[in-house]
Amino acid sequence: MDVPATGNDVKGGGVPMDNVKEWFGYDSLAFFGKVNASISHELKNVMAIISETTGLLGDLSEMARGGTPLDPDMLTSSTESIIEEIQRGFTIIRQMNRFSHSVDTPVVSVDLMEILDLVRNLSGYLSFAGKISLHAIDGVTPMATTCPFILQAVIYQAVVCSFQNTGPGTKLELSILSQNNSTWRILFDGFCPKEFDVFPDDRIKRMAASIGVSIHSDREANRLEIGVPVSMEGLAAQPGAPEMPAEEDSLRNRP
Amino acid sequence: MKVLLVDDEQKFALMLAKRLALRGIEAEVFFSGEKALDTVEQGHRFDVAILDVKMPGIGGIELKRRLGLLDERMKFVFLTGHGSKTDYTTGALEAENYLPKPLQIEELIETLNRLTDRPPGASDPDG
Repeated sequence: MDVPATGNDVKGGGVPMDNVKEWFGYDSLAFFGKVNASISHELKNVMAIISETTGLLGDLSEMARGGTPLDPDMLTSSTESIIEEIQRGFTIIRQMNRFSHSVDTPVVSVDLMEILDLVRNLSGYLSFAGKISLHAIDGVTPMATTCPFILQAVIYQAVVCSFQNTGPGTKLELSILSQNNSTWRILFDGFCPKEFDVFPDDRIKRMAASIGVSIHSDREANRLEIGVPVSMEGLAAQPGAPEMPAEEDSLRNRP
Repeated sequence: MKVLLVDDEQKFALMLAKRLALRGIEAEVFFSGEKALDTVEQGHRFDVAILDVKMPGIGGIELKRRLGLLDERMKFVFLTGHGSKTDYTTGALEAENYLPKPLQIEELIETLNRLTDRPPGASDPDG
């Protein structure tokens, strides 16, 4: 487990830690709560299946006491089902653990693919979620020094916003490209919110701006682009960081 | 008694159907509200619908409303893995009965018996 940085440590290329701590305000707490609620729902489903399966085994035992022969195939399939659900439960708990520890060190060097992978898993617990496929750059690990928790929140809300409109059975393709030496571009192809002006809302804009992340959407291409600085060097980490301008159509004008 | 069981958690639904079958209750299982609606629209009739509240596509609350339009005699039981206060309030208003997951099977059987005036003794696994 990482040891949280304390006091006036400096992390992330010169961002004062006291400022970083201020980012974890109500919006972050709300995101944390929302994700944990969906995880607990998923765990309840796992427990419900285990409960019904053990209940069935109990039923079969009662019947055997009454003289009904036990069906070995049903015993085997029930046991296998319990084992599968326990494994599923462990996987969910591992994701929950990764997510929980993402607040340990507010600003840290992270592999952006790992962030995307975690968001893909966490959003998969939502009943309306579609499928997310991730595309990495061959031979390159997209490392960035950033606040993983806030970046997760921004990416997660983008995914939620799209899937809330498109629903299960749809697909989002996430890929990471290098824009230049200072920025990673995370592309969401298939991004399709109900209205393009609902994402990012002011809350997401504030969170993104606080870590220097930019958000642009292209309605015609059904694409969202999130720009993540490789480093937070020189970034004024303030809760009231300037809002990003609305740049809905800016991608179309890019070379 | 004929039961319509709709839950997107496939293993849970199948397992519950097996347990109901051991108690003499025939449950037809659907993993989506859309498929369940199609079946009732085709004229299949059920005494009780057991519906998961949170499902992709048509959720349990909306499904109850649409099933009720097709068959006003159908009774409803809601299942949920959430159990938040809002869910509970919504479920309690929308259905005669609302049961949290993980289920207590005897509680479900009692509820089904009460809704359909089925004799309580019919709930024995080997009866």
